[in-house]
Amino acid sequence: MGEVKLFFGPNHPGMHGNFSVHMYVEGDVVKRARPLPGFLHRGFEKLMERRYWYSNIALIPRICVPEPDINEACYAMGVEKIAKLEVPERAQWIRMIVLELARIANHLMAVGGIGGPIGLYTAPQWGTADRDRILDIFEALSGARVYHMYIVIGGVRKNLTPRIEDMIWKTMDYIESRLPDYENLIFKNRILHSRLKGRLILTREQALEMGVTGVGLRATGVEYDVRKVDPYLFYDKVDFEVPTATDGDAFSRVYLKFKEIPQSIKIIRQALEKMPQGDKVNVPVSKGSALRRIVPKGMAYVHIESARGEYGFFVVSDGKNKPYRVAVRGASYPQGLYGIEKYLPGTRIEDVPIWLATMDVCAPEIDR
Amino acid sequence: MTNSMSNLVKILESFNPFVEEIDEKEIKITVSPDKVVAVLETLKANGYSHLSLMTCVDWIDDNQLELVYILFSWEDGGKFLVSTRIDRSNPKFVTVKELWPVARFYEREIHEFFGVEFEGNDDMKPLFLELWDERPPLRKDFDPRDYSRKKFPDREYEKDVIKEAKIFRGEING
Repeated sequence: MGEVKLFFGPNHPGMHGNFSVHMYVEGDVVKRARPLPGFLHRGFEKLMERRYWYSNIALIPRICVPEPDINEACYAMGVEKIAKLEVPERAQWIRMIVLELARIANHLMAVGGIGGPIGLYTAPQWGTADRDRILDIFEALSGARVYHMYIVIGGVRKNLTPRIEDMIWKTMDYIESRLPDYENLIFKNRILHSRLKGRLILTREQALEMGVTGVGLRATGVEYDVRKVDPYLFYDKVDFEVPTATDGDAFSRVYLKFKEIPQSIKIIRQALEKMPQGDKVNVPVSKGSALRRIVPKGMAYVHIESARGEYGFFVVSDGKNKPYRVAVRGASYPQGLYGIEKYLPGTRIEDVPIWLATMDVCAPEIDR
Repeated sequence: MTNSMSNLVKILESFNPFVEEIDEKEIKITVSPDKVVAVLETLKANGYSHLSLMTCVDWIDDNQLELVYILFSWEDGGKFLVSTRIDRSNPKFVTVKELWPVARFYEREIHEFFGVEFEGNDDMKPLFLELWDERPPLRKDFDPRDYSRKKFPDREYEKDVIKEAKIFRGEING
């Protein structure tokens, strides 16, 4: 049988954004695969060098569309590290709540979104509907549903009011009550088992060699989570577990995301209880109006655990009112480029969207 | 600096590094270009086996490019920023794709955005840009506004609003 070249993407229901894979197939089996990013390249790193430190906050949530808050958090923490700025304690707790809410929203979309490539079409409806409840919280908090621009340099933009705290408590109770339904509908479903169990296995050595982080690595049995290994904010003051699995297949990766939702709910509840009261939620990095503020010379790399793995910002300042250089480490860079080339050959055509969905290949953060 | 990190810094002293402490768990090590691979190998053998990021900074005033390798240890949670400076007018460096296979793509990206040649890495096709015809875009002397003005010039046209309105009302035929 001859080799045929097939194109996966740039548009496909099984992934976020536009990304293309050139597959050389024989029958249904992929012989060679070549990733082709660049459809969403918007030149963020160059754009950031040409804007003021504070105006970048409006730009960077666009780097990763499904989970935008991690960008603001990483950037703000990087600048604070260079400037040695003390952030108010309440602001740090609020940041933690926002990041965990974003993680739940992203996991709900991922758990629902797996229905797209495998053909289980109730799941996306449920996932999107419950994610909307979290977007309601973000709307009340920041005025925006998707790009919040809420975490700023030196703290957060506005204080958390008692009404929003109440809303978060209620939404967490609601999402917790929904989880058994998800378990029954999605994770006990035969379609999901037959399509995902034992497929696309990644061993621990392969994952570590490739540089995969997040659920892709934890599905191989190691407890490597940046929140535990290198705690930022107050993750060392809350009690939570990092779920792991030993199979390393596509099913355990999706199931781990689902098992992380109750842990995030646990963190949010502890944060709401431990958070000190007060009005001070941000401090300026230097004197003057926001556009003239300068950051002292220096460089720093800050990474956090996003829903997809290690996400980092490398920030360089030359002591002026604009960043000298900002580099972004997208969490899906290794599995989206090297992983496709190395580990897709040998699998079947219908497994390609499952790789992109379960390894969380997010095209906008690869392209930037 | 944590204990294990200061022990590692002691091991690295033979490479004559310039050590800078950014944070308790983040240390920047600047070495000369010929010692970078040896430093990276030493760090990788001592637990710093995760390449978080490989990137480049353009110091145009010094006529130098700075290559930065960020290594992370999953065991003790520390970060090492291994940095070196190379000549900007003819930037050449060696590949580290044997140490970290994913570095191949980082090198391709740096080649595309900064114009650095990596010896030993033969796959240097453009990764993100298509039909690029200018200098590497993340260099400081590249001005995106000038480029887009040159590449996509403003079109000459004058809109005759009154005539359009008359056509719209049916007073004249367009």
